[in-house]
Amino acid sequence: MSVLAGIPYNTLVVAVGVAAVGFAAGVVGSLGVLRKRALVGDAAAHATLVGVAGAFLATGRRDLPVLLAGGLCSALAALGVLVLLRRWSRTREDAATAIVLGVSFGLGITIVSGITARGIPGGAGLEQFLLGHTAALTAGDAAMLAAVSAVAVAIVLLAAKEATLVAFDPGFAAATGWPVTFIDYALVTLVAVMVVAGLPAAGAVLVTALVVIPPVAARQWTDRVGRMLALSGVFGVVAAVVGVAISAVVPRLATGPLVVLAAAAIFVASFLAAPGRGWWARLRRQRAVEQAWVRGRMLSAAAEVSVDGGGFSKQRIAKLMGGEAGSAGPGFEAAFVSLVRQALVTPASAVTAGRLEEGDRWRLTEAGLAAATERSRRLERWNDLIAAAPQEARERLTIDLPDPGRAAGTDSGERRVP
Amino acid sequence: MVVDVLSRLFGDGMHAWAIATAAMVAAGCGLVGTLLVVRRMSLVGDAISHAVLPGIVLAVLAGGRPGGPLVLAGAVGAALVTVWLTQLFRTQGGLAEDAGAGVAFTTLFAFGVVLVTAGASRIDLDPGCVLHGVLELVPFDTVPFAGIEVPRAFITATLVFAVVVLAAFVTWPLQVFTAFDSPAAQAAGVPVAAVTTGLLGSTALVTVAGFEAVGAILVVAMLVVPAATAELLTRRLHRMAVLAVVMGVAAAAIGYLLAWRWNTSASGMIAVVLGMQYAACLLLAPDHGLVARLWSSCWFHWRVGCEDRLAACWRAEEASMHGGSAGPPASTGFVDRLALGWLAVTGHVRRGPGGWMLSERGRARANTVVRSHRLWEAWLGRHAHLPLDHLHPPAEWIEHHLGAEVRRRIEADVGVEANDPHGRSIPPEP
Repeated sequence: MSVLAGIPYNTLVVAVGVAAVGFAAGVVGSLGVLRKRALVGDAAAHATLVGVAGAFLATGRRDLPVLLAGGLCSALAALGVLVLLRRWSRTREDAATAIVLGVSFGLGITIVSGITARGIPGGAGLEQFLLGHTAALTAGDAAMLAAVSAVAVAIVLLAAKEATLVAFDPGFAAATGWPVTFIDYALVTLVAVMVVAGLPAAGAVLVTALVVIPPVAARQWTDRVGRMLALSGVFGVVAAVVGVAISAVVPRLATGPLVVLAAAAIFVASFLAAPGRGWWARLRRQRAVEQAWVRGRMLSAAAEVSVDGGGFSKQRIAKLMGGEAGSAGPGFEAAFVSLVRQALVTPASAVTAGRLEEGDRWRLTEAGLAAATERSRRLERWNDLIAAAPQEARERLTIDLPDPGRAAGTDSGERRVP
Repeated sequence: MVVDVLSRLFGDGMHAWAIATAAMVAAGCGLVGTLLVVRRMSLVGDAISHAVLPGIVLAVLAGGRPGGPLVLAGAVGAALVTVWLTQLFRTQGGLAEDAGAGVAFTTLFAFGVVLVTAGASRIDLDPGCVLHGVLELVPFDTVPFAGIEVPRAFITATLVFAVVVLAAFVTWPLQVFTAFDSPAAQAAGVPVAAVTTGLLGSTALVTVAGFEAVGAILVVAMLVVPAATAELLTRRLHRMAVLAVVMGVAAAAIGYLLAWRWNTSASGMIAVVLGMQYAACLLLAPDHGLVARLWSSCWFHWRVGCEDRLAACWRAEEASMHGGSAGPPASTGFVDRLALGWLAVTGHVRRGPGGWMLSERGRARANTVVRSHRLWEAWLGRHAHLPLDHLHPPAEWIEHHLGAEVRRRIEADVGVEANDPHGRSIPPEP
């Protein structure tokens, strides 16, 4: 605890409150993202400004719970308008979202500017809700945010099964009697609640990032919903706390952008480095497939050259593989080294040296010969399959696989047999 | 009094310049927004209008003047980066399009806000201005042009509008083809990717032009709302574009004046006026407005009610001629009574000794309804092989819809002398 000793008590409490909001926003947002409702929160977020300003006008006070309650009302009203537009108008959903977002934000700006221009006492602070500002948060406010977050997480935990079902297969859920529409509305309402709870930390314009970025970052790491929810919550906590901490050090910077940038950094790291779906892992897998293909062709070429049990040189198989010596496609050397390591190719021993032509310093081992035979057998099999396939299937196969041998590449080769 | 208000408003030309700037921005946005809306790319417009911020700020930090070519280039670059990132996240990360856009534009916007705050001493922008613009200050930043002081923002907006209009004129057929059937356009050799990139670039341009005047987020309203409003009024794309421009310009003027009257943010008020325009058209549009639809639905039910009453009277007359009970069946419903009253007023029926009697006029109309009904039953009986008790409901529904030509052709099909499947005669065309 000695590390925390220097931090004022209030800052600590605020950090805990914001961390709770970050966690809950990440958890709730995960379900929203899985349901493909990522930007619904954005419309709700921009609409909160109307309610915040309206609540201030109605009560004349700047208590956070009052303002946020107003924000929640207007956010839910905006979502209601969105539903009505979807049902009653010819406007398509994306345009309807943009209309609700733009017009409600304009209304909010109008009211806030009107308050500011008339110099109503206390009204000057309302602009802080645009980009987020946690410095004014009291311990009580933070406790309230934490409580709301805890309730939201509890609801998600209780209804995770239903929400997951609806997210992944709404048709099946409806057919088996689940109230899909109700679950959808409940989910969207929960997203709206988290957007409103996130207002002090991230502001109306950017708070949607709290319910979008941590979930998509978590999605990169896992295919399990439970793990995604937990991971997304953790990412939300990290982003929120880092953003608030930097803002505490540099008070000139609004909290919102910092929280978003912290979340974005986590996302970029996940996007690049996550195992499985990440960019680096994909690149590695692709390389492995390509190398396996080069190795396979190399084995076949070697078998062809040394058909009488003799040896071969790199130059000869390179020429056979379609290129000049040393430039037989990318990864030639690496593939050759890998073949030697797997003991499929070995240096020609002194015993057989007499039968070798000049420069033939390599030969296939027993295992190498077997692998080459197996490869040609598979290639033949594949060609038979394609020849026997119906015309339209054949067209699709040949588009996917310009070279039919790809699927028959040795060991780790990616199978693309339909 | 009007003169007094006008002279107060436009006396020094300040308000006129502000309105002209907002109108010019709105015109460009309306034109571009039309294509965005019909291509279902409204949220791309949303994303771009957020994401141009870092491009603008970096260009200003690199020495560009606000509204200058460097800043325009920076904004277009940022817009294309946003779209490219969204695509990258989709293809490489498996993200849904909206989630990818959500990540890209919030991040870029946050980056821009941090840049603005950090470099506040070196750039003439502040976060509030970024969000909702300061239209009221536009007339104070002027450059001399042809002998008069013209606001810089107005010149930028006019140039951008000219470029966008020119581009739209030159590429209009390609834009329309791509918007409505992009695979067919691709197959026909239209450079779909270039057309789309041009649209995205235009979006970025009008966003930059609107940036100082109305702010980043309200540009979304100017892009999407007038176009969506126009779409409620017409189904022709070029009319939609013109209407969107007109709507945007009108909202800019009205919104500015209302904001001046009530002493509040002009850009916010413009968005509110745009919203009210949309709501008004949603309710009152001639063909598809809610009021028109409600009215036509009510009118239809009323016509059906009247025709059903007439047909009931007609059937009662037929029954009494064959020695059955006289008088139509008692009508109990409120609408039925109302309809009978209306028919009596308009001279279709009159009160006779045994109840309601058809007049000549009413008999002709009732005749048509019953004829449609029985012809349809005869046709169904002949071709659809339905059991007898299944013939009545569809005929009861369609009797209000068949025209003379359809009746003639059905009659030719089932035979002039035929009865309906229940054995009753089909009355001839009056």
